[in-house]
Amino acid sequence: MRLVGSAITTAILILGFAAIAQQTGPGGSQPPAGSLPSGSPPANGAQPQVDESALRYFASQGDTRRVNAEIARLRALYPNWTPPSDLSQLSAGGSAPPDPLLERLWNLYREDRIAEVRAAIAERQAADTNWKPPEELVTALETVEARRRLVNASDSGQWQTVLSVATESPSLLTCTNVDVLWRVAEAFARTDQPIRTRDVYTYLLTNCANPAERLATLQKALTLLPEQQVADLLQFERRTGESPDDFSSIRDELARRRVERASLDSKMTASAEDLAAVERLIRNTNEAGPVLILGWYNYHHGNPARALELFKTALDRNGGAKAAEGYAMSLRALERLTDAEAFAYEWRERAPENMKIYLDVATALLSQDPAPRLDARVVARIVPVVTAQRFPDGAQALGWYSYNTQQIRTARDWFRTALGWRPEDEPSAYGLALSTQRLNERAAFNAVVSQWRGRSERIADLADGTNPGSGRRSAPVQPRAEMETAPRPAAARQVAVERIEVEQPLARTEEGVRLRQTQARSTLGRGCAMTRNPTGLSGDAALTRGWCLMEINRPLEAVAAFDQAIATGSGRTREEAAYGKSLAYLRKNLTSEAAIAAAEAPQTRSRQVELGASILTQRALAAYRDKRYVETLLALSERARLVPEQNDLLLIRGWSYFNLGRYKDAEQVFRAVQRTGHSEEASVGLNAIQEATDQVSQ
Amino acid sequence: MTRQVPRASDPKVDTIFGIHPMLNLFNSASFSAENRDPFSARCARRASLLPWLLAMISLVMTSMASSQSLSVQPLKIAGTISSADWEAYRSRFVEDSGRVVDTANGNISHSEGQGYGLLLALAASDRRSFEQILSFTFTELLIRDDGLAVWKWDPGAKPRVTDRNNATDGDLLIAYALAKAAEVWQEPRYTTAAQKIARAIGKNTLGRSGRSLVLLPGADGFGAGDRPDGPVVNLSYWVFEAFPVMAVLAPEYEWNRVWRDGVMLLQQSTAGRVRLPADWLSLQSGLQPKPADGFPPEFGYNSLRIPLYLLRAGMTDLEWLRALKQRWSAENEGVAVVNVVTGQIRERLTDQGYAILQAALACALEGTPVPAALRTFEPSLYYPSTLYLLAKSLLGEKYPQCVSSAAP
Repeated sequence: MRLVGSAITTAILILGFAAIAQQTGPGGSQPPAGSLPSGSPPANGAQPQVDESALRYFASQGDTRRVNAEIARLRALYPNWTPPSDLSQLSAGGSAPPDPLLERLWNLYREDRIAEVRAAIAERQAADTNWKPPEELVTALETVEARRRLVNASDSGQWQTVLSVATESPSLLTCTNVDVLWRVAEAFARTDQPIRTRDVYTYLLTNCANPAERLATLQKALTLLPEQQVADLLQFERRTGESPDDFSSIRDELARRRVERASLDSKMTASAEDLAAVERLIRNTNEAGPVLILGWYNYHHGNPARALELFKTALDRNGGAKAAEGYAMSLRALERLTDAEAFAYEWRERAPENMKIYLDVATALLSQDPAPRLDARVVARIVPVVTAQRFPDGAQALGWYSYNTQQIRTARDWFRTALGWRPEDEPSAYGLALSTQRLNERAAFNAVVSQWRGRSERIADLADGTNPGSGRRSAPVQPRAEMETAPRPAAARQVAVERIEVEQPLARTEEGVRLRQTQARSTLGRGCAMTRNPTGLSGDAALTRGWCLMEINRPLEAVAAFDQAIATGSGRTREEAAYGKSLAYLRKNLTSEAAIAAAEAPQTRSRQVELGASILTQRALAAYRDKRYVETLLALSERARLVPEQNDLLLIRGWSYFNLGRYKDAEQVFRAVQRTGHSEEASVGLNAIQEATDQVSQ
Repeated sequence: MTRQVPRASDPKVDTIFGIHPMLNLFNSASFSAENRDPFSARCARRASLLPWLLAMISLVMTSMASSQSLSVQPLKIAGTISSADWEAYRSRFVEDSGRVVDTANGNISHSEGQGYGLLLALAASDRRSFEQILSFTFTELLIRDDGLAVWKWDPGAKPRVTDRNNATDGDLLIAYALAKAAEVWQEPRYTTAAQKIARAIGKNTLGRSGRSLVLLPGADGFGAGDRPDGPVVNLSYWVFEAFPVMAVLAPEYEWNRVWRDGVMLLQQSTAGRVRLPADWLSLQSGLQPKPADGFPPEFGYNSLRIPLYLLRAGMTDLEWLRALKQRWSAENEGVAVVNVVTGQIRERLTDQGYAILQAALACALEGTPVPAALRTFEPSLYYPSTLYLLAKSLLGEKYPQCVSSAAP
């Protein structure tokens, strides 16, 4: 017990629990009958402090059977423990007859049935008010209860409780309870006292002997302490003795982390030892992790060939999307663009990073100088991806590729598309100017020039005739793979009423709306899923609720919430709510309601346009579905006054004309669509006209 | 069958609630404990408010004439439950570890159950079980940084604590039971523990709503800033008999006001057509409490306890209790879960533990003897069995004539 006492003092001092030290002076937990453990405390506390209280009690009662059972139990728990030599003295001195209740209490205690010990003590005290439980049993009980509370509190993240229990029960802070020490260390870390955390680990590594626990201590330190402090703790590694430490895995982990940091930063170099450690990890495990790290390190430190090998290994080890990204990037760095494009294409859907590298690689492939000879299939598969992703660099690259392969109309359309996606893209504007000039489209050319003259010298030069086309771009080239596919907005298939419904409304605003909805949702959690009446909510709360309901796609309930917001909210809230309400109605295809809602609060100009356009789109589509073609055309024309008519709606217009028998108008529209690249859909229309007019003329 | 402390957290909305001048009326009628009155010292009467008071009296007299004599009469508790009844309860719902098991709720445990267990062990004068239940409560639940108990413990989960928020009624019950037990068994350990919890309740769960001071159901998630309809309260968390005891344990907090404003809130929430409070009330919108968001607008399992707590606190003069007694009588709808908006019954509750609530009302208000069928304890599930014993303990102590063998 002296040993326990001294260890506690050490722990207290080290942990800085100064206040407790006074409470638990040397006399704090005096063992019974002047017992001292055999031998002196081993240096470094190689022997854990074992709770011998039950053992001593059985010995004092002369109960050899239980003494032996307890010795066996403690030996199993603590292999290095030796029973105290003074047990026989205790036994000899134990002249008092054994108390069966005490025996039962100690048994319950031994079996960890703490509540029942408490109950039995209370029962005995109720029967005999003078009876007091033995002090060491009370202490033992309190210690176990404290440990339970500490563990439970730590499992529930109640770190203050962990620390206060540790303060009140310093007898827990010994090598017998390494788990408790770890939890206390974590509590310090979680309450921003890393120095104390380090002190606990230092105490543990200085005093506790179990090599597995020592190693685990460093593993815990890795998760809680800055690396430098972990590195400092390595000095406590015991290289000699019966059971020496092996902290090499910790060293390797530190090395791995250093290389990992350097792997993404070309200005940071890793030491040869650290790199060797990671190489060793790669050899000794089957995991992709270290391979990826070394791959990125090589990639960012000028060795793409080695990086490529490593990423290949990582792929073989199921390194997944990250490995694929690295592999594609290495191929690109090695200028193997054709391979890179083919490889990246396969992985593009796996993660946003994979899509990004695919688009980059494809763009690089198209933009090579001189213009490459590309397989038509390659170009054909690049086009839909660039279109779906609305990737302006890709569109521009397709523009140049078309231009350089003498497909000037296609080039013009791609440049236009690129500008649509990124209006400030000067190279695309230049491309557009060049193509329109080549096509002799004066009006279009002048439009570009007037827009860009002030911002782009080369476009101005083009207009002034000082630079009649860039030599490089307009150099005659061999016929290349024909561009079968010109730019084509994503939402165009057949007479795409369904598709338009799904994708069209408010494409530009969808993102803003989604942001609002997600924010509302994260504020309310599943809160808004519960059906209820929004009356009584404040304007802002109702608005949040409305967006939240939109997010879980319950637009009609959202309408009710937005109504409440319109009724009670401030100006800004009302505007927002009216906007939301319109969107909600649009989602239910209730266009008249949407139109009314839009008028409920003043909207900004751009929102007016958005909402108006969306409402008209839906109105047109609804009319078209109901075969009310005149109304369809009316709605489309109204819409066209607000925003340019996109190809899919042009097709609707064409078919409306067609169905009204206005074949000339229909033909005009379909031809226009055909010119912008919607050849398939337009051809269907044109053929239909052909057929219809043939029949008429026959 | 389940009652849960909900999690909540949402944007802030400010509120005003409470008619201030009325509160002073309650002030003058604070706890009239016979021996020592912890509150009288705190009831400073302000001369400046006197005109207000006079002006309001006539108004209040009409609507709440009886409420002036509200008071809390302390219960003895110990020795009011027979050992047979307690044994029937203990053997079913209390494990050797001291865990009180909610048998209708996936055998979980909660702070409320531990509090009831302690209180009932005391009522049965079973210190053995009291220690046992306390041991579990102390080591498994009383682990929060703020000194309150985590409310939910699930034997099938790891870690066992599946929600670390507190439930304030559980904390109140634990502290109250400890303080009462400390008196009976002369155990300072209990007093210390009770005091810690009482201070933690005072510090962490009292919330302002307008000029009122209310008991928030949990330290997190129910305040004005925590949810759009906050503050949200549960009237059945007002264990009225416990407030004078809290006032002794932690006199630095205004328990008297909490108690008083709870009564006020009850008056307000029972003023509607259906005359029943919803279990969960939003105090967000001004004067009138409303059913809180996300909860059924029901007078449900939670609120059934309100009349029991009122009776136990000796607050029998509230007019609402008469109305409730009528509603609960066999000729009318009986004890039931009722939609407080429509008045529709969702579920009739026939278990002994619910029926005895009506019998206790009839006894306390009219001296009606408790029917023979309710005299013998037939434990079923944890919750109604608990209510049964709490009611029986009260009847045994305060209304022996209703349960004596001489009664028909």
